[in-house]
Amino acid sequence: MSAVLYHGEPNGASLTVLAALAQSGLDIECRSIDLLAGERHALPDIADPIALDLCIEGEGPVLVIGGEAMTESVFLAQYFDEAADGAGLQPADAYARWEMMMWCRQITERLSPAAALLGNLATSQHAIAAIPADGFATLSARIVSDDLRQRWQALNDDVVDAAQVADSETKVTAAVERCEKQLSDGRDWLMGVFSIADLVTYSWLAGMQILRPDAFAAAPRTTAWLARTADQPCVTAALGRSTVSEPLRAWAPGPEINRWG
Amino acid sequence: MDAVTLYHWEPNANSGKPMLALMEKGVPFSSHYIDMLQFDQHKPEYLAINPQGTIPAMTHNADGQRRVLTESTAIMEYVNDRFDGPDLMPADAQDRWRVRWWMKFMDQWLGPSFSMIGWSVFVGPMVRQRDPAELAAAIDRIPLPERRVAWRKAINGDFSESEMAESRRRVGLGIAKLEEELGKRPYVGSNQYSLADINIFNSTYSLPLSQPDLAGKDKTPNIMRWLKRVYMRDAVKKTWAMGKTDLANRYGLIMAEIEA
Repeated sequence: MSAVLYHGEPNGASLTVLAALAQSGLDIECRSIDLLAGERHALPDIADPIALDLCIEGEGPVLVIGGEAMTESVFLAQYFDEAADGAGLQPADAYARWEMMMWCRQITERLSPAAALLGNLATSQHAIAAIPADGFATLSARIVSDDLRQRWQALNDDVVDAAQVADSETKVTAAVERCEKQLSDGRDWLMGVFSIADLVTYSWLAGMQILRPDAFAAAPRTTAWLARTADQPCVTAALGRSTVSEPLRAWAPGPEINRWG
Repeated sequence: MDAVTLYHWEPNANSGKPMLALMEKGVPFSSHYIDMLQFDQHKPEYLAINPQGTIPAMTHNADGQRRVLTESTAIMEYVNDRFDGPDLMPADAQDRWRVRWWMKFMDQWLGPSFSMIGWSVFVGPMVRQRDPAELAAAIDRIPLPERRVAWRKAINGDFSESEMAESRRRVGLGIAKLEEELGKRPYVGSNQYSLADINIFNSTYSLPLSQPDLAGKDKTPNIMRWLKRVYMRDAVKKTWAMGKTDLANRYGLIMAEIEA
């Protein structure tokens, strides 16, 4: 069956999935798309769009297999690992897998909306706000999800919510502290063995080193782990797909901030 | 000591997920009922098990260790991976992806909206009648700040009109998408009964009663056929027999309608 992975610059959700694909060794065609031009909302040949229309993580990559649009970076990473009959991205033990999934959920629910908000304000809000009104109307009309369209609209309107910025900075700091604690026993990888947890955490945290360096000032183990992860061949391969000089500065509207509890 | 102990509230939403998964797998477990409406989940005895004060939680004594597991969907995945019994995940990788996708859609997008409506019409009014000082003290004991906010809103009836409208929009859209999904295949995400069915059934088993304008025999025939299929399972009957509140009564009402 035909399979195509549509992805943005290797950062955030796209970085996780590109690295997992490289690790799996699967031969799947990758097509780079311009997320900030809204290209993710005009993909060809999609017969089953629900996972694209209602994707929770925002402008993440889309894997199209047999006309079905598949989304959510953690699950796509699991898909590649399992479709390759085990590429070493998920621990074999059930309890270790539970720990990995709990970790990934913490990252995708708490860190990734925060990182996406700070990243977009720093690097993409200006570009989105500069889209001419008629062009933006065309783009936003293609976005099926009302809540994702609102996140685009807030960037287009140049809205900055100081409380959200402060909350996001707190969440980035909390994620760094969590990593530092996890690595405190001297382990190389977050779950002991290299896993999807390293890919997901690196993908949302590495760009924060550039934008919020202070959050890493007292975190030598996390800083060393980020460098170690960047040197992994699958991560290097994913970053090598970049079409810009600094992919970790490339952001697009991300997951929504938890609306209740 | 029992190998598995489950700390849970009603067979409903999050608590019902690991209850039903254990029952489907045939794993014996010691049931420890946590009365959410009495704030049992924030009392020291329970915080000693799960310091976050969220339910459900499960302990498993194995390999010389006592493991504490939290988060209902992740507990279900552990139960399915760790114990013998029928496999509650499909074998095909794309089907597995779809099962996970639907569970996240419920846990993080649709579920919180069901929950906000449920708390505003059920949980809030149930606890609101208590002594305000006792309630304030109970809220102060909640470990997670975001849960404190949620409880305060539920108790005071502080959900804004725009929040409620957004939750209603999501519930309407979610039901429509589920109806569409169950028109494609007999179960959620795959052709076999899986963790996705357990997950979603726990938040939709009383839909024809709770959302009669959106769900029912005429409006959502695919959902009704699926509900009937799941209702008929022995593990489901046994799990809902463990309920103690009016929520379990709603199960009986729907069951009567289905069997009629």
